[in-house]
Amino acid sequence: MSPRSGIDIADPWDAIEACYARGWTDGLPVVPPTDALVDAMLAAGPWAADDVLVHEPVRDRAVTAEKAAINAVMAGCRPEYFPVVGAALQAIGDPAFMLHGPATSTGGSALMVIVSGPIAPRLAINAGANLFGPSARANATIGRSLRLILLNCLECRPGVLDKSTQGWPGKYTLCFAEDEAQSPWEPVSVARGIPAGRSAVTVYAAESGHNVLSHGTADPERLLTCFADVMAGLGSLSPGRSVVVFAPEHAQHLRRAAWTRPRVQQWLYDHAWRSLADLKRAGKVEPAFYTNPELVAWLYGDAPGGQPDRRPVPEDADRVVPGDEAVRVHRGLGPDDILLAVGGGAAGGHSAFFPSWSRGRSVPFVTKEVPA
Amino acid sequence: MTRILDPTLADAATPAALPRALRPRSLRGLTVGLLANGKSNGMALLDGIAVRLSERHGIGEVVRVAKTNASAPVSERDAEGLAKRCAVVITAIGD
Repeated sequence: MSPRSGIDIADPWDAIEACYARGWTDGLPVVPPTDALVDAMLAAGPWAADDVLVHEPVRDRAVTAEKAAINAVMAGCRPEYFPVVGAALQAIGDPAFMLHGPATSTGGSALMVIVSGPIAPRLAINAGANLFGPSARANATIGRSLRLILLNCLECRPGVLDKSTQGWPGKYTLCFAEDEAQSPWEPVSVARGIPAGRSAVTVYAAESGHNVLSHGTADPERLLTCFADVMAGLGSLSPGRSVVVFAPEHAQHLRRAAWTRPRVQQWLYDHAWRSLADLKRAGKVEPAFYTNPELVAWLYGDAPGGQPDRRPVPEDADRVVPGDEAVRVHRGLGPDDILLAVGGGAAGGHSAFFPSWSRGRSVPFVTKEVPA
Repeated sequence: MTRILDPTLADAATPAALPRALRPRSLRGLTVGLLANGKSNGMALLDGIAVRLSERHGIGEVVRVAKTNASAPVSERDAEGLAKRCAVVITAIGD
């Protein structure tokens, strides 16, 4: 009998129900994790069973490779996916990612995993048609592994530690590859410092994606106007980051016009803004913002002539004062806050914008190399 | 029989409990730290508590620290500053 802790079940079908009964699922059936399946999963990665892949410091919880492998089996992963799962866990466990926030906040973010490099086609991680929807086993199960680990190991149970007001379906799974062949630019991983030819994951705490629909123009500025407009929506306007995934059709227009990644990032940053007056009229400026230097810098960073002559006070939050119409409040703090990738089916002018979770600065993108 | 492995940390070592700081017998005249976690109304809540503590227990000086990002841990510098100056620290989330 196995030395590992668990439950002994005579009928494999009963095992699925037993996992439900113990609260070990995300609502969908899981693959019952047996010793043999877990051993195969562990053997496909470079980690020893007791290597810690994520340490969550707020509650001092350490997720070992063995626990990660058990959950990856349950999610439906094939063993060869495990290096990607492990790299994604190391990315969300990076202290810079501040996992406790996105794992527990009312904002209800999903853990987005963008896969770059040669491992994506090797594992058939979908970068094409329906890449965010039901499609490939790798997309579905790699992303699901992270959620099961949050549920089972970090105890992020809905309504208990996970206080998502609504959540969204991306919380089940949100993993995709970038379509490097269709991209006018170097891979996301290379832009973020990983050597070309290597495989990597980039993680992001994402709110639900917004479709950016445009079929009527090949002109970059007219096309990007749609993106900037969606990005400047008051509902999700914040000093946080953005992920924009261009459909191949849209990417092709940018390629033909020879727009570089930095140029697109700069253009979107410059045009995705609302006036401070708009924000105030919509109740998006809270009195407490004026006591947070980071948020004051966000609100007034692009004010004509710089910061206002008079230091803003909390009472300013509710009233539109002279000059507010001319103050542009951008999405994010700069062009580098906008991550650009390419993915989707060959046909269709449908791209996507994913705002960061939180009305504040949220957490950064984190990129980790996938072990060979 | 097939063993289905436990995916939780129920069988892992429980995190070591941190020792509790000694509790003062009285708050009278003591410096109290207020650590707001970075949400909009954390400090408003703490200020209200400080007023009550002042009325009922005669606390002394109040030291306020507000994190700028609710997801981030309090900085070492702020934590050390609070530890050095305050006899007790109260933290709160207020959204």
